[in-house]
Amino acid sequence: METINKLGRILMVEDDPKDVELTLTALEEFNLANEVIVTRDGAQALDYLYCRGEYATRSCDNPAVMLLDLKLPKVDGLEVLKQVKSDEKLQLIPVVVLTSSKEEKDMVASYKLGVNAYVVKPVDFHEFVNAIKELGVFWAVINEPPPGSVRK
Amino acid sequence: MDGSSLQQRTAQAHLLRYGLAVVSLSIALGLALLAHNYNFRNVEVPVFLLAVALTAWYGGSGPAIVALLLSIAFFDYFFTEPRYTLYVTAADLPYLLVFTAFALLVAWFSAVRRRVERELRQARDHLQIEVSERTQQANLLNLTHDTIFVRDMSNVITYWNRGAQELYGWTAEDAVGKSSLQLLQTIFPVPIDDIRAELLRTGRWEGELRKTRADGSQVVVASRWSLRRDEQQRAVAILETNNDITERKRREQEIQGLNVELAKRSAELEAINKELEAFAYSISHDLRAPLRHMSGFTELLQKRATAALDEKSNRYIAMILDSAKRMGDLIDDLLAFSRIGRTETQKTSVSLAQLAREAVAEVRQDTQGRNIAWKIGALPDFSGDRAMLRLVLVNLISNAIKFTRTREHAEIEIGCLDENNDLIVFVRDNGVGFDMKYVNKLFGVFQRLHQSDAFEGTGIGLATVQRIIHRHGGKVWADGVVDGGASFYFSVPKPQGY
Repeated sequence: METINKLGRILMVEDDPKDVELTLTALEEFNLANEVIVTRDGAQALDYLYCRGEYATRSCDNPAVMLLDLKLPKVDGLEVLKQVKSDEKLQLIPVVVLTSSKEEKDMVASYKLGVNAYVVKPVDFHEFVNAIKELGVFWAVINEPPPGSVRK
Repeated sequence: MDGSSLQQRTAQAHLLRYGLAVVSLSIALGLALLAHNYNFRNVEVPVFLLAVALTAWYGGSGPAIVALLLSIAFFDYFFTEPRYTLYVTAADLPYLLVFTAFALLVAWFSAVRRRVERELRQARDHLQIEVSERTQQANLLNLTHDTIFVRDMSNVITYWNRGAQELYGWTAEDAVGKSSLQLLQTIFPVPIDDIRAELLRTGRWEGELRKTRADGSQVVVASRWSLRRDEQQRAVAILETNNDITERKRREQEIQGLNVELAKRSAELEAINKELEAFAYSISHDLRAPLRHMSGFTELLQKRATAALDEKSNRYIAMILDSAKRMGDLIDDLLAFSRIGRTETQKTSVSLAQLAREAVAEVRQDTQGRNIAWKIGALPDFSGDRAMLRLVLVNLISNAIKFTRTREHAEIEIGCLDENNDLIVFVRDNGVGFDMKYVNKLFGVFQRLHQSDAFEGTGIGLATVQRIIHRHGGKVWADGVVDGGASFYFSVPKPQGY
């Protein structure tokens, strides 16, 4: 139970509700789902990060990690990544790209923009659950997030 | 030596000329005395004048004066009273003076005439030499196949060589005297005034001109102009040489056309490639997501409902999961296959022996619990894309492992043959083999010769092998016997200096 107390807030940017459900299920299985914010496109994610729009009233601190899909409506994942990594206030947030795309092009672009990790969603459910678990445990528990992020 | 002999010759010439004066006057005196003897009166004056004139003519002015003095002396001594003395009476004085003046005049005339004639002769010789030189040069110019013609500053053709006749079809008789611009209907790439200005400034001009032949056909020529100036530096003529580049121009245009076509084609190909890339991306992303959901939710369902479902239902769920996994593998393999076509090969020197060791290590986990006799022969180095060639070996070796699964003692051999310009690498096994009837199906995408429950696989491995080897400029082939093993070969061109 100690791990839960130290759990950092996870910002998830994912447009597919089924992926959201699967990811949350996987996180739940390991008791990592209690502090997950889900945004459904790039614009909403940026609203959250900048505490504006529907998130204007939240206490404005950074998540411990952001799980970012690349193929998103409105503002796509690479643009969100670019925005985050070029903003002095946001650039310390660890960003993990979590995508279906194995394309080298996307990988190179992401790393060039300064992504902290790039994970291809496995098709196999067990592997998927394992990947999400390990990501959650590593970034929300093991990794020491930069100062100014939420710890519960 | 030369100087003294020259002096000697000049002295001899002087002696001759003055001797001539003396001799001619002596002969004149003889004649005059003879005539006088036979009572012909007044013959002496014309005879002496003739002698003086002759001396002036052949001897020049010095001997002429000597002749004149001699003639006066002879005239006075032999023919004026009192005779046989040099005494001159007052009455004879005017007569003598007139004679002297007349003789001087004759001498002067003949000296002048002689000089003029000599000059004329020299000029003629000079001209003759010049003419023969020019004729020789003109003949030389005629020998060349290059087109050469000369025109004066108002473009009237003054010289036209055989090369010009060959190129334009006009003979020298046709061309000389005509305006070159009109005869050849020259088309200039820039205003002719600019060309003339450059020619006058630098003395030359070069460019491409379009001209018309006698038969009306057009030619493109590389034209060089040189300006000829006279001694006063006045521009007097233009020498123009032409080379027919019509054929070259035509080819250049053809090449240009082909290049445009090529650029268009490659743009089209690039567009198609982009589309393919987008398609592959779409498969990579959009097709995998629903697949993941299918297997994910099925698994969740399985977890929750296993206890409540009967055996058959549970089997159905297992089959759905199996199919989803299989489809995921297919997509992955297909993507890898299409990536081979899209990425550039990066050629380096590759150690095939090293690659084979790596490939065997990579498939090691599939060989656990198996009894496999590996036989790896000497393998050379060659030039190719390391990652791709590694994939080739991995695919061939894992195939060999897969299709020897039913053998108690599996044997897998990797080796190399040397044949003319190619290196041939083979992977041979003693597995289930295949029927040579279907050999042409082996390397096709999604082509399989075994039922999928006997030997798993997507049917893309050998297609990938073929694609990679083709990109390396090589060939792939196989032979096998049902239940008697199979051999897979690929060839690659030998590296230079092998």
